Amino acid sequence: MFTLGPLTGILLYPIIGIILIFLTPRDKTSWIRGISNTAVFLSFVTSLWVFFHYDSASGGYQFVDHIPWVVPLGISYHVGVDGINSVLVLLQGFCSFAGVLVTRSIKERVKEYYLLYLMLIIGVYGVFMSLDLFFLYFFYEMAVMPVYLLIGVWGSSDKEYATMKLTLYLTGGAVLAFIALLSFYNGVGLGTFDLVAIQQHLTVHPLSPQLQNWIFPVIVVGFGVIVTLWPFYTWSPIGYAAAPTSVSMLHAGVLKKLGAYAILRLGIQMMPEAAQTWMPWVATLAVLNILYCGLISLTQRDLKFILGYSSCSHMGYILLGLACLNTIGLNGVVFLMFAHGIMAALGFALVGTFYDQTHTRNLDELGGLAKRMPFVTTCFTMTAMASAGLPGFANFVAEVMILLGAWDKYRWQAVLAVLGIVVTAVYMLKAVRLVFQGPLPAKWNHVNDAKTVFQRLPYALLILVLLVVGFWPSLILKNIEAGTRPILEQLERSADIEQRITFRKTE
Amino acid sequence: MIPNIHWNLISLETTITAVLALFILLDILIGKTQKDWMGNLSLVALFAMILMWFRGDHIWGQMFSGMYIVDSLAWFFKGFFLLTMFFVLVMTQQFFRSLEQRKDEFYLLLWLALLGMLLIASSADFLLLFISIEILTVSLYVMTAYLKRDKHSIEAGMKYLILGALASGLFLYGISFLYGAAHSTRFVVIQQFVADQPTNPMLLFGFVLIFSAIGFKIASVPFHLWVPDVYQGAPTPVTALLSVGSKAAGFVILLRLLFGVFAPLHDHLTLILAILSAVTMCYGNLAAIPQKNIKRLLGYSSIGHAGYLLMGAAAGSTLGAAAITFYLLGYLFTNLGAFLVIVLYFVVSKNDEISDYSGLSQRSPLLACALFLALMSLAGIPPMAGFFGKFSLFIAAVQNGLVWLAFVGAANVIISLYYYLMVVKRIYIDPPISAYPISVSWPVRLTLWLAMAGMIGIGIFQGPFLDIALAAVKGMF
Repeated sequence: MFTLGPLTGILLYPIIGIILIFLTPRDKTSWIRGISNTAVFLSFVTSLWVFFHYDSASGGYQFVDHIPWVVPLGISYHVGVDGINSVLVLLQGFCSFAGVLVTRSIKERVKEYYLLYLMLIIGVYGVFMSLDLFFLYFFYEMAVMPVYLLIGVWGSSDKEYATMKLTLYLTGGAVLAFIALLSFYNGVGLGTFDLVAIQQHLTVHPLSPQLQNWIFPVIVVGFGVIVTLWPFYTWSPIGYAAAPTSVSMLHAGVLKKLGAYAILRLGIQMMPEAAQTWMPWVATLAVLNILYCGLISLTQRDLKFILGYSSCSHMGYILLGLACLNTIGLNGVVFLMFAHGIMAALGFALVGTFYDQTHTRNLDELGGLAKRMPFVTTCFTMTAMASAGLPGFANFVAEVMILLGAWDKYRWQAVLAVLGIVVTAVYMLKAVRLVFQGPLPAKWNHVNDAKTVFQRLPYALLILVLLVVGFWPSLILKNIEAGTRPILEQLERSADIEQRITFRKTE
Repeated sequence: MIPNIHWNLISLETTITAVLALFILLDILIGKTQKDWMGNLSLVALFAMILMWFRGDHIWGQMFSGMYIVDSLAWFFKGFFLLTMFFVLVMTQQFFRSLEQRKDEFYLLLWLALLGMLLIASSADFLLLFISIEILTVSLYVMTAYLKRDKHSIEAGMKYLILGALASGLFLYGISFLYGAAHSTRFVVIQQFVADQPTNPMLLFGFVLIFSAIGFKIASVPFHLWVPDVYQGAPTPVTALLSVGSKAAGFVILLRLLFGVFAPLHDHLTLILAILSAVTMCYGNLAAIPQKNIKRLLGYSSIGHAGYLLMGAAAGSTLGAAAITFYLLGYLFTNLGAFLVIVLYFVVSKNDEISDYSGLSQRSPLLACALFLALMSLAGIPPMAGFFGKFSLFIAAVQNGLVWLAFVGAANVIISLYYYLMVVKRIYIDPPISAYPISVSWPVRLTLWLAMAGMIGIGIFQGPFLDIALAAVKGMF
């Protein structure tokens, strides 16, 4: 029979959790919370274990589980992690664990909330470890069902409009990419959805240029929607503003990275020739992302909108890094996916702590909260610093890597991108000043800080990660390098081929 | 000469005839009672038939000098129709609970419709096919107009009758052309003739007429005009039967004709079928957006689904045919699950308006969950059955060079997601219209569980079901 490794365990714990919650009566909320916390915790611990046991020296896909699933179409349940995946699985581990702890603040329809939340967690984990194109898409689309309801039912402000917009945008992008992927599957002609097999095949027989040239941009745009590629970002700030805290944490922290991961894995790695042709366009759009969304963020008065536009703006760095197609750029991309994921989750979690008590996020109404919640203030200020790329935080390392990578290829884009960091500092510091400093309005005298260890745990955990990785980047960088190496080799090979062709033409 | 009858090949049909005779007799003997004995007895008889279906598997053959065949496709769809009948019977029992109307004839008509569908699956001769279609359609006409005090029901019956009669006429007219060309109504003879003279004008004319009649059955554009009114006006169990049973019957015929009798013509038909498919799905999904009545919404959405299914027909490969079969299997659990919820809610609210579904999740989590899963499956969201159905149809289309059609299909997924989510919004987000909880009896609860298990099970463990679908269609290739 099949022996199943730790990765299947990561998927299985939340599934068991869902079944148990399903069987629990709906008024036993403490049981339901206990079951969910345990399930997510187990997955989190396993993701840590996987990360530390990944052998970066030998590289490649490890902890592989492989079960044939739909034989006639060449679909198999095939999970495994390489260096990139191991880092992203870890990211999802941290964010989902912090998220499920924060979910404490949900008081109504608790059973449904946890069911949907666990389903969302399974979907995200699934994408990051699937080595099968079908299952990758399967898990990716699985997030649609829970997210619509999570935002629609438990959200705030303009939730019905926001959730419909978010769902339609993301599904639109997904189905667009889906048809491109099917054409890709058909074009490869192996009759299998197995990414490892397709990858090996493509190193010897690259896809024909005509096919690559239309499939690649469709994949970039399709998955770009969830990375908020300019101009497809409008769903994101409004969606995050409406979403309940733990959903905005996962969405801004992890789900956005799914798209970048898919572009890297399915676009750049599978079609390196087309990547060379199309990525300069993406670099330009990325600068629009950074500056346009950053400037919008300056004008916002709602704190969650600020964070939402800020995350769209930061996705620009990820896209710029992807466009570099060189070692330092791609390593920086994965690093930033991790760093920004933790930072964004932390930011939204902290907004949740006082929004639950004040029921407003408007900068004009808030102020002076530092007196009532010193712990939260400290954390949020550190988040703001991390977001602005202050040395010591993981984001600094990542952004420097990306900018260095872009310097050679995209000189003026890199210069403009540095400007984006200044813009970030302006709106983040403004937010800190208006929310936490100044006089405390009398109506906020009842606001309480996160007091107990258990309440502080999620925030402290995420801050700790940002600092540890910031001071000791090689902790995750050695895994990332092991993961990007094959992609870079693929890129070099395709560049060689291109050079030879042009060389022959000139002869 | 007495024809050599293999009883095991027509065991199901014989049983239905016996059941019908028995019911008529018992009806006279027992007379009018309050008890729903006929419904319960129907369920017992149906379970017996389902057991017979399992036992009789893999015995293929033909009878009546090739008019009636039992092959893997026929047997698969016989099982399909029996399962449809099960859900429809449960719905009927619930539906008539709230109405002051005699329902015994309704059961007889249901059994008659089932007989028609089972015969359609086995027809290998145009005459038998015509008779079976008429058995099905005539009982559907009567059932559609069964609520004789409800003017919508009468109107629906009338519309269905007039347009259905037109379709039957076209079908017969088409058969006469085929007979004129090939001097036979047997599928095998005509198939041979098509292979010899694929461009014979009489043949082509006959084909177009017959195809129009099938288009009426599966509700494809431009033969879809009856759908919304009939779906809305008919008693809900009949709507369910129309949307699943009758549509699947249309697709069995389509599979047999496109991949069997007229297979040599298929290369010329690809483009026409692809265009029909694209127009049908766009029409159905766009027209569903403004609907206020849930049955009407599902009516338009069923036009959309006919469009998706035609995509597999346009692809024309083994995978295309298997994808149609798989899709229909998922569609059975999905759509019948949805209609079961609609029936149960109708019993409480006497209304099918979507606005009345507000806050259903707080009045009955089970009904809300079942309807939610069904709508997601119809939209094609994993891990539901509808996703893999669409997935395999799209692959079939892409493999046969119809990438543009796959893009049209993808656009339609988004459109359909919008109106399905509008219903979901009503159910989950809006406040309930009354705080009164809805109770569901245990047998019905189990049926709902079965529907949900079907949607999720087929959606996650696609392999075995795709194998079943492939095995069902492989006889034709």
